[in-house]
Amino acid sequence: MFAKISGFEFRYQLRQPIFWIALLLFALLAFGSVASSNIQLGSTDNIHKNAAFVIAQSCLIFAVIYTFVVVAFVANVIVRDDDTGFSAIIRTTPIRKFEYLYGRFAGAFAAAALAFLAVPFGLWLGSLAPWVDKETLGPMALGDYVYAYVVLALPILFLSSALFFTLTTLTRSMMWTYVGLIALLVLRSVFAVILSKPGLEHVAALWEPFGTSAFGAATRYWTASERNALTPPITGDLLWNKVLWLGVGCGALALAHRLFSFQSAERSGRRRGPAAALEPAVVARNLAVPVGGLAKPSFGAGAIWAQLWARTRLDARQVFLSPAYFVLLGLAVLLAGLNLWLSTDVSDYGGRVFPVTRVLINALTIFDFFALIIAIYYAGELVWREKEQRTQEIIDATPVADWMFVGPKTVAISLVLISTLIVGVVVAIATQAVKGYFDFEVGKYLFWWVLPHSIDFVLLAALAIFVQTLSPHKYAGWAVMAVYLISTIVLANLGFEHDLYRFDGGPEVPLSDMNGLGRYWIGGYWLRLYWSAFALILLVLSYGLWRRGTEVLLAPRLRALPRRLRGTAGVILAIAVVTFVGSGAFIFYNTNVLNPYRTQLDDERWTADYEKKFLRNESLPEPKVASVKLNIQLYPHEPRVQTQGNYAIQNRTGVPLSVMHIRFPRDLVVDSLTIEGAHLQTAFAGYNYRIYAFDRPMQPGETRTLSFSTTLAQHGFRNSGNILSVVDNGTFLNDQRLVPRIGMDRSILLQDRAKRRKYGLPPELRMPKLGTPGADQVNYLRHEADWVTADITVATDADQIPIAPGQAGEQTVKDGRRTVRFVTDSPIMDFFSVQSARYALATQAYKGVQISVYYDLQHPWNVARIGNAMRAGLDYYQANFGPYQFHQVRVLEFPAPQGGFAQSYANTIAWSEGIFFIADNRDASRVDMVTYVGAHELAHQWWAHQIIGADEQGSTVLSETLAQYSAAMVMKHMYGPYMMRKFLKFELDNYLRSRAGDVLEEEPLERVENQPYIHYRKGSLVMYRLQDELGEDAVNRALRHLLHDFAFKGPPYPTSLDLVRDLRAEAPADKQQLITDLFEKITLYDVKASHAVAKRRSDGRYDLIFTVDAKKLYADGQGHETPVPMDETLDVGAFDVEPGHAGYDTDKAIAVQKLLIHSGVQTVALMLSRLPKFAGVDPFNELIDRNSEATITKVASR
Amino acid sequence: MPTLTIDKLTHVYPNGVKALDAVSLDIPQGLYGLLGPNGAGKSTLMRTVATLQAPTSGSIRFDDIDVLADPQALRRKLGYLPQDFGVYPRVSALEMLDHLATLKGLANGKVRRATVEHLLNQANLWTVRHKALSGFSGGMRQRFGIAQALIGDPALIIVDEPTAGLDPEERLRFLNLLAEIGENVVVILSTHIVADVSDLCPRMAIIVDGRIVREGEPAALIAALKGRIWTKAIGRDELEACRAKHEVISTRLFAGRTLVHVLADEDPGEGFAPEEGGVEDVYFSTLFTARHAA
Repeated sequence: MFAKISGFEFRYQLRQPIFWIALLLFALLAFGSVASSNIQLGSTDNIHKNAAFVIAQSCLIFAVIYTFVVVAFVANVIVRDDDTGFSAIIRTTPIRKFEYLYGRFAGAFAAAALAFLAVPFGLWLGSLAPWVDKETLGPMALGDYVYAYVVLALPILFLSSALFFTLTTLTRSMMWTYVGLIALLVLRSVFAVILSKPGLEHVAALWEPFGTSAFGAATRYWTASERNALTPPITGDLLWNKVLWLGVGCGALALAHRLFSFQSAERSGRRRGPAAALEPAVVARNLAVPVGGLAKPSFGAGAIWAQLWARTRLDARQVFLSPAYFVLLGLAVLLAGLNLWLSTDVSDYGGRVFPVTRVLINALTIFDFFALIIAIYYAGELVWREKEQRTQEIIDATPVADWMFVGPKTVAISLVLISTLIVGVVVAIATQAVKGYFDFEVGKYLFWWVLPHSIDFVLLAALAIFVQTLSPHKYAGWAVMAVYLISTIVLANLGFEHDLYRFDGGPEVPLSDMNGLGRYWIGGYWLRLYWSAFALILLVLSYGLWRRGTEVLLAPRLRALPRRLRGTAGVILAIAVVTFVGSGAFIFYNTNVLNPYRTQLDDERWTADYEKKFLRNESLPEPKVASVKLNIQLYPHEPRVQTQGNYAIQNRTGVPLSVMHIRFPRDLVVDSLTIEGAHLQTAFAGYNYRIYAFDRPMQPGETRTLSFSTTLAQHGFRNSGNILSVVDNGTFLNDQRLVPRIGMDRSILLQDRAKRRKYGLPPELRMPKLGTPGADQVNYLRHEADWVTADITVATDADQIPIAPGQAGEQTVKDGRRTVRFVTDSPIMDFFSVQSARYALATQAYKGVQISVYYDLQHPWNVARIGNAMRAGLDYYQANFGPYQFHQVRVLEFPAPQGGFAQSYANTIAWSEGIFFIADNRDASRVDMVTYVGAHELAHQWWAHQIIGADEQGSTVLSETLAQYSAAMVMKHMYGPYMMRKFLKFELDNYLRSRAGDVLEEEPLERVENQPYIHYRKGSLVMYRLQDELGEDAVNRALRHLLHDFAFKGPPYPTSLDLVRDLRAEAPADKQQLITDLFEKITLYDVKASHAVAKRRSDGRYDLIFTVDAKKLYADGQGHETPVPMDETLDVGAFDVEPGHAGYDTDKAIAVQKLLIHSGVQTVALMLSRLPKFAGVDPFNELIDRNSEATITKVASR
Repeated sequence: MPTLTIDKLTHVYPNGVKALDAVSLDIPQGLYGLLGPNGAGKSTLMRTVATLQAPTSGSIRFDDIDVLADPQALRRKLGYLPQDFGVYPRVSALEMLDHLATLKGLANGKVRRATVEHLLNQANLWTVRHKALSGFSGGMRQRFGIAQALIGDPALIIVDEPTAGLDPEERLRFLNLLAEIGENVVVILSTHIVADVSDLCPRMAIIVDGRIVREGEPAALIAALKGRIWTKAIGRDELEACRAKHEVISTRLFAGRTLVHVLADEDPGEGFAPEEGGVEDVYFSTLFTARHAA
């Protein structure tokens, strides 16, 4: 019987359209994810599109999405008979509950599982697509598909089937089951967020219901080669996660059996039927109608307003009071609340910022997603409401005007959307209050978020209303809207980016406290006017085509359209059309006439062509810039920058030069360019690239002048890519945007391997190998110059302060313009910033250096701390490395839209308002990010602005790694090694995660190819361990030596080999291997402590014994590992508090000492003054160990 | 005196079904019964008159209103109770009636409230006015339906199958009410229950397969049948033979025997007795004739 029922159910499900639609849809999605170059699920450039990891990841992602289909399958089992009214017949047959319920469940689950086979099949098929780049594919392994389907996907399908089968049994409602599904998905994303916090991986891995976190945790440090070939073993968290949730699934099924009743839904009380109890007890008198006694209607303006209000109220109420709205809003509040709460945790180091309005608004985007769902979902609900609830005939026969349907519904959904967004603001303000921040900027919330987003979503709702009006059915309308949403993504990928045809499109309006909305809102609101006019057209047409009465077909409604459009409607339509066309023309004038319209694909193609045309010139000998004189006129409000410049250029090659290559940024207008004794030979107009021929070859050592003037300006607004660097308040320009560059370099070329291949370029442009002859003739920052002197005059509006590198000299204010001249007091890199804003200034003299912080008054919190970091840095660096080369150090805030970073220019540090200018340091147990960032940037005044690496592998070690080291030393002396453990732990975690995703290959530190996770993250760990093993003084001696040899010199420029040599010179013989391991190898440790036992001695002290199992491995660039013998000193210690946990500090360390640890198992013995709770190796987290928690173990006392 | 004039109204659905076939009717003030079997086109006709559906051809006039050209003008004078209607969830009888009153042009809050309260009282729904309509029984819902149809003092009231699902007592009350209203305005009552019409309507029409096949005062229609209806009680086994021989328009069981009514211009003999005839016989004979002509 069971088999018969499940067989029947299975065949029934196979006949349903949903089965075939799901099968086809998921096969297509899976196929597309492999066959399309625009989609990447887990694959990166060096991870194959059919890698085991990618197949697993894809199956996981698709299975999670597939839960929506699963619900349709299993919920259908329960509600089907109720819906069709068949239940009474079936439930009176002598079927047993067990067979009826589980037979059907089994059939439905089997059908759902069968349809999901489309995913592995589609993935496999995708890898066979002839157009897929064979380089992106690995060998086909059937086992990977089986693993992904059986181990990862099936449990998700089973769990969701079981849970929602039970939920439907409980609620007898499809809607509530979907609500439950959304709740489960929210729960899932909560765990996904938790997983991103180090230390909570195990919790998330176990409790996240779908096993994606468990999979993520098992593979988080996997390298490319592991991801290509391996599937995680079914052990540990992954196994327990599966066991736990399969158990939950079975439990749910058992519950369903208990809850299910053979009574019909009405009688089981799940669904409310007509309640006879409401019948009034007194039986009625006749409904006597007084002749003429009833009020007469009136149809004036008063009636129309009353009707509009009544309809709007009813429609809005129907949304506000519907359970689905509560659920959606609840989910939005929950998700946004979580997102808002986490939005102030902005760095891997656990650094925290104040919940300023701008940060929270950016975190509110989750509300946008729900507003989108609400707009589309409720447009369908509202348009079809009267028909579905069968009130249509009564309502439609009342004497309300035809527009009294579409009008109130539009107003109602607008009210719903606006109030939903306002709820978002309330959640954000509540978050601020809970976080103890009480500067509630309601105006910013309204004008930065509620107003523009309300308009955008109301326009979307108008589109949805129009679609629903045309559509023959609600679901068809929703499907059309879904297709529309997908099309917006696809079209952008295909290069259709113009906001004039992207419905609801508009340019990005970046937010900044310093600059507000800048002038970016202007284009945004023109587009909103344009699309509002279009939406009005749609609404008038919706009115004209509205189904009043029982007519559903489109054709008769179309015939009736002209009649309905007569009169006011026609006038409104005409006004809307005129507005639409007029604003469209103005927008087109701005985006395509005043400014060039370029898509991302256009830009890529241009960049690829640029490379094809000019990269061959990369190694041509060129003169170098010796000195720079600039006059920069900033007009922040236009925005416009006029630059006049004079360069002294010198032939520092050994050969006479007959030509010179000059290039400018693509959109920079070159007003003039003259090179002494040279004439224009060729100009590549579209590329702003020129070749000049010297009339008489430029001899070695000869110096000539180059003068130019340029204009950087934007008129009106662009479709995308508006100038971000020159703004009303907070201009921050890199000189590269204003001046000519000499010769070709790689700075603007395409990086992405797939894109490079697509345009016929070699997949990667690698740096010259370490030690390549001749590579040391140029530094990695600027090929066209060595050290230069600079004389820069900057003028801006009088109410702003302009700053450029160099000692600030004479200052004049005239005709509303402030002009300041900056002259360098020491040679600098040819690498300038220009900044201008209405700054507040905090300045102090410290040991001959003027420390100035230029900040926005809205962000005063960290000004003193920045000054303090500068003082501490100057003290440490001058004492240990060498003198500071300038008399000023200036820190300047710049607006967040220009980037979330800090950057060091000569005596000038540009620092984004987006990062730790708004740091919240109230929790002293967190890493002090202000001091870290400040000390790092200040250190660049030595490491980049005194020595700079040659442009070859390892170049950034000399700047970034040494700046990390310098900052770490400042912080170590300020906060102690116990605080530094937190810092190093974050560095380790980031390094281990990032190395998996490297698209090139991992290089040892000394060969780093500008890979941030190596030169920053690994760099910190390497240098910290080195100073611990060699001694801080020895390391600093080596650095002093390096500075002595190379400061302000070059070519030849120093390389990482010079640093390693100087370090080796300071290291004793037994530390030479350590330097090899740290700099020349990719070294990983696997050290575990266990079996710690402490025993009280007769003298009151304790003998501690524990086991250490140590392993050292060398990895190659793809992550293949080879074990090597280990024999080195490590910190060993015993503690009252587990290292890295709250309260861990000097007084909690009972003993820390260095001991020699070798490969394999060994026993460590310590004698201690008191009973320890924890013991182990590497308590300061200096080792690169993927399981760094296992180096410490709990102590048992005996 | 307002009159509803329907002229050659034809409606063909897109699937080819001819729901109305040149229907012409003159409906004066008073209660007008429209009788027809299920699927005869009653509701199509009602909805067309109620401006909810545009006919393929033909015209409808009410007073001086061309209904098809200016449906809005008719709606201002219309009270309509559809055959089947639903309610908004979570909306009480009071709220819904108030809402409909607003839509029907009772803009003044005071007047509207008075009207709504009056109608709720009259419909005996006062005590449950704050309860959600979705919880109402069929009879209560139907009373609500008539109450809403009366808002705005309509000159034309259309009630489509109003008594289906009502218990006998409710039905009686409902019909009495209709009769009362019908004294002053045009009321069209569409039904497939003969008794609804026979008890109340001064005029009636019978619609079959989209065509009006009989129209007139019930008494006149009955009179036209005088002497043509014959009845006899027979055994159940004799029925087939009887059908073969006579034009049997209706049968019903009575005390274990089958009572047949046959249509015949002269005494069919065989023990048939003449029958006085009622609206029921008018209806069944009309159906019989219409179906056998087709």
